[in-house]
Amino acid sequence: MGVTRERFEQGMTYDEYKSQMTRNREKFEENERTVVLPPADLDAFRNARPLHVLVLTEDWCGDALANVPTLGRIAREAGNLDLRVFLRDQNEDLTTQFMNGEYRSIPVFAFFDDQFREVGRWIERPAAVTELRKKRRAEVFVSDPRFGSVDAPADQLPDGVRGDLTAALQKMRDEMRPFADGEVVRELKEIVARAA
Amino acid sequence: MSAPVRVTITYCAECGYETQALDVAGALMTEFGTRLAAVEIIPWAEGTFDVRVADELVHSMVRDGGFPHPSDVALSVHDALARNRDA
Repeated sequence: MGVTRERFEQGMTYDEYKSQMTRNREKFEENERTVVLPPADLDAFRNARPLHVLVLTEDWCGDALANVPTLGRIAREAGNLDLRVFLRDQNEDLTTQFMNGEYRSIPVFAFFDDQFREVGRWIERPAAVTELRKKRRAEVFVSDPRFGSVDAPADQLPDGVRGDLTAALQKMRDEMRPFADGEVVRELKEIVARAA
Repeated sequence: MSAPVRVTITYCAECGYETQALDVAGALMTEFGTRLAAVEIIPWAEGTFDVRVADELVHSMVRDGGFPHPSDVALSVHDALARNRDA
């Protein structure tokens, strides 16, 4: 299998992908604008070897909405990452190559050198983010007995309580964003460093 | 005559799953009409797409992956109506 240069070049450019988004584009571009990229991190990307990056995504996916804009900003600012974007649900030949165990998780960032040898891949979100989110989510539920069990389905809550829980979870996600973005940048930096 | 069945669709509004929620709701409304007690559509978050038929969770994106086919949900409604008829 693998990905050939010809197959890679069939993907959309990052800007073409944004142009065809049917939802969440405003939030996507806000994330792209506001992600914090420390100069030292950007230098690490700028000093790395040029790489091709295959992106599998969909505009409805929360992890893609959070993390694809980070990669897009890095690529734009560093200038040596060549992105091509593919929609997961229209490119089964690619999704089957980049499974996350039994799941077709997105986003996928697959890094290739100029001979199209894969030099690294990144899927969905950092493990540290998953772990901290789980812990913080549990804390939200403990913070107010009306929220009930962390595993209880949302449709079982009274409307007003559900609204309060939505706000509390959103606040938690907003507070976690600097950590989450930082972990994404750190992991991507490690991939390009290993490829050097 | 069976007691009508309530259906609840909880979808991730942040993810933009409105179309899929409306597809399921529309298919059920067309097929079952007044045999439905209600179709409740709840905007939620966290990548959710859950469908509950008469208190039974018949589809969960986290548990089952992806979106349900409306015809599969319709089968669950048929089953629930049959249970109500036999009760």
